[in-house]
Amino acid sequence: MNVGTAHSEVNPNTRVMNSRGIWLSYILGIGLLHVVLLSIPFFSVPVVWTLTNIIHNMSMYIFLHTVKGTPFETPDQGKARLLTHWEQMDYGVQFTSSRKFLTIMPIVLYFLTSFYTKYDRIHFVINTISLMSVLIPKLPQLHGVRIFGINKY
Amino acid sequence: MERPERAAAALAVQPRANGCSGAGHGALRNGYVRGLSPPDTQINHIVHNGGLYKRPFNEAFEETPMLVAVLTYVGYGVLTLFGYLRDFMRQWKIEKCQNATEREEQKDFVPLYQDFENFYNRNLYMRIRDSWNRPICSVPGAKVDMMERVSHDYNWTFTYTGRVIKDIINMGSYNYLGFAQKAGTCQEAAAKVLSQYGAGVCSTRQEMGNLDKHEELEKLVARFLGVESAMAYGMGFATNSMNIPALVGKGCLILSDELNHASLVLGARLSGATIRIFKHNNMQSLEKLLKDAIVYGQPRTRRPWKKILILVEGIYSMEGSIVRLPEVIALKKKYKSYLYLDEAHSIGALGPSGRGVVEYFGLSPEDVDVMMGTFTKSFGAAGGYIGGKKELIDYLRTYSHSAVYATSLSPPVVEQIITSMKCIMGEDGTTVGKARVQQLAENTRYFRRRLKEMGFIIYGNEDSPVVPLMLYMPAKIGAFGREMLKRNIGVVVVGFPATPIIESRARFCLSAAHTKEMLDTALKEINEVGDLLQLKYSRHRLVPLLDRPFDETTYEETED
Repeated sequence: MNVGTAHSEVNPNTRVMNSRGIWLSYILGIGLLHVVLLSIPFFSVPVVWTLTNIIHNMSMYIFLHTVKGTPFETPDQGKARLLTHWEQMDYGVQFTSSRKFLTIMPIVLYFLTSFYTKYDRIHFVINTISLMSVLIPKLPQLHGVRIFGINKY
Repeated sequence: MERPERAAAALAVQPRANGCSGAGHGALRNGYVRGLSPPDTQINHIVHNGGLYKRPFNEAFEETPMLVAVLTYVGYGVLTLFGYLRDFMRQWKIEKCQNATEREEQKDFVPLYQDFENFYNRNLYMRIRDSWNRPICSVPGAKVDMMERVSHDYNWTFTYTGRVIKDIINMGSYNYLGFAQKAGTCQEAAAKVLSQYGAGVCSTRQEMGNLDKHEELEKLVARFLGVESAMAYGMGFATNSMNIPALVGKGCLILSDELNHASLVLGARLSGATIRIFKHNNMQSLEKLLKDAIVYGQPRTRRPWKKILILVEGIYSMEGSIVRLPEVIALKKKYKSYLYLDEAHSIGALGPSGRGVVEYFGLSPEDVDVMMGTFTKSFGAAGGYIGGKKELIDYLRTYSHSAVYATSLSPPVVEQIITSMKCIMGEDGTTVGKARVQQLAENTRYFRRRLKEMGFIIYGNEDSPVVPLMLYMPAKIGAFGREMLKRNIGVVVVGFPATPIIESRARFCLSAAHTKEMLDTALKEINEVGDLLQLKYSRHRLVPLLDRPFDETTYEETED
């Protein structure tokens, strides 16, 4: 039950996104969310797509860019305590395949949403703001940056 | 890669496992499942790497089925969401919080407890905590007695019912040769020494704690291993963590296997040397690291490394794999580095006469620079040893932290080791030792074959007495432990984060003390539980060892 007893991997969080089957699970999760939203009777298709996009981006922002540290104690004396999951991935190496996957997914979702909302102006504004909120933290220049000290400790 | 026909012919003249004449249970060879596919499409696992291996090296790590992986993530996702929900309820006092919290008056201070780091502990580990730390109340031999405990608040507290569950088949103790006994020659000798020397030594080796028993033990260990000289320490973990800093320091390079034990990792970190990790048992990865080290030298100054030390283990206890020692030694000689072999699980358990992994491969002990091992597993005692050349051991007697600061081995324990080692070597005049080694090898082959036939995914080498059975999903970890206890079998289960997230497993440790009837009972129960929990994932498609690509898509923390 201790981290690192069977592995010299100090922080398993760095490798979770590279594990077998997790990309597929991620896509299936988005699909499930979409189908659940579609089954609510009073939402039209454009609203459902915008909602899918917003909920997906909000969850991604919370779990990847807000929650810091690890849910278990690591043997490296807390080097990753102030790092979000995105910053912990692959020990901070940029442009790995998991990072590319997680950057491309919101963009693909954005394309699909724009198509299904027929490029309506209000939907466009909402979706673009949502996309920016989830793409900007992923830039390598913003690695470890906390704007206005939000979420620093 | 050799073709199946030549391999089969070569196999016919190969010695059997560990040199013992097996009863011939119709054992499977090389992962061949008879009657499943024609021979020319079968994957051949024999590695005959330029004649380095004198026997087939069968290791298999079947890949996780994709559906199982997805469901495992779903399981962890659901547990995480419920964890957040329960934390929310605890914070708003809807549910009573049973964890340690600060007092109300201290809430404005800097927090004392990191509550996110405890998330996994509170919400996942607590739910299945009753599979670990089970109190036993008898000698952990082939059968063990356990105190029964129940929990009325979902594992936050336990109470003992007072009943003792008797005769649980023990598949979790590292009792490879069955020397964990309360009666027999070892126990009588240890009791005599106890009445003669007492229990404590009250000093370190360098001060007043060097008994004649220790000298006798060290000579015996040196003879057992076939090395010039050996030294024994009080604790196996401390042997690694205190002696590696004495051997390497700043300016040296340590190449350590991915799955090395925590003691080796701690020792490597304490030494101050640069650590580079190579993929588990992957000789291409090791060779690349060695080449880079020799060509590029130290990181900034490009000076040559003072020493290069390769850290490997004989048997890796979480995977059940055996180190590819012939290739490691060939690489070590080619690139002129040193080898530190940790035989904690393999001494006594491998080799025709139990001398460990060096004998298993038919190599010479002089090729390994530092042979380390423990007395905890196969000898039924406690402590560790290091064996090697006389100059090395004389140096360690002066400079090792364990020798200077740690209390030396207790005399009855030393006597237990001496008696059991003499028994294994056959010097006590009986063939009990040899019979035990053979029994262990037969048990290993039989157990692994039967589990594979049932359809479970088993990791590791065919000859390793450590058998990891894959469970994958978090709920099955708790379910497996509890169901096996209901059926009177004690197993060790392990999950994330000790293992990778999708690779939780149950680990069986076979023993020479297990009779065939015990193994059959255990197998019958495992079969039932496997059907109940749907654990039979195997599709009999073994990942061919040489086809696994070596690529550089893992990023390790580099220390520069």
